[in-house]
Amino acid sequence: MAGEADTRPEEANIDTYEAMLIVIPELDEEQVENTVGRFRTIIERTGGEAGEPNHWGRRKLAYEIDHRTDGFYVVMEFTAGERTLVELKRILRVSDDVLRHMVVKLPPSYAHKPIPEPTEVTA
Amino acid sequence: MGRRRNGPPRGGRPMKSKPCVFCKENVAYADYKDYNMLRRFISDRGKVRARRVTGLCPQHQREAASAIKRAREMALLPYVVGR
Repeated sequence: MAGEADTRPEEANIDTYEAMLIVIPELDEEQVENTVGRFRTIIERTGGEAGEPNHWGRRKLAYEIDHRTDGFYVVMEFTAGERTLVELKRILRVSDDVLRHMVVKLPPSYAHKPIPEPTEVTA
Repeated sequence: MGRRRNGPPRGGRPMKSKPCVFCKENVAYADYKDYNMLRRFISDRGKVRARRVTGLCPQHQREAASAIKRAREMALLPYVVGR
């Protein structure tokens, strides 16, 4: 995390992050959209910028999580404001409709590249 | 560390050093989302393959291993196969 609070780096080196969520399979497409929309609002409210979410659709999990064998995968790139990461991760952790999540920082050279995928969408 | 690198091994024919596939394909970032690519580096048990098997250079082996671990966390790859 950035050490000094108010030395915000200028545009030149703003980090891009990527979040991947597994949303519970009980929801339908529209509810998944809403869930993702909620996180986009959080990102934007805390001063980040959320990219278009990439919906992989319903996929089989490689192993069972909470007695569920599949889930909706959503991948989204974003830039973070000061509080974004803390807030986003906190909300993700307490959200019951998100099975699993992961936020990674993308290497500067890799950001905004088209994402390979998705394949094998199992209903 | 005093390990031998590319010199001729004791006995047998000289080692042919195979270039690391990541270096060859100019992979900038081992992406955990590209789990089908990572499949090449795990055994059919789901374990990370050793460098002598994958032929990756030390840097890329490390990157591939962490990508595999991330993919496992997101249930894209299994921790164990056939249990």
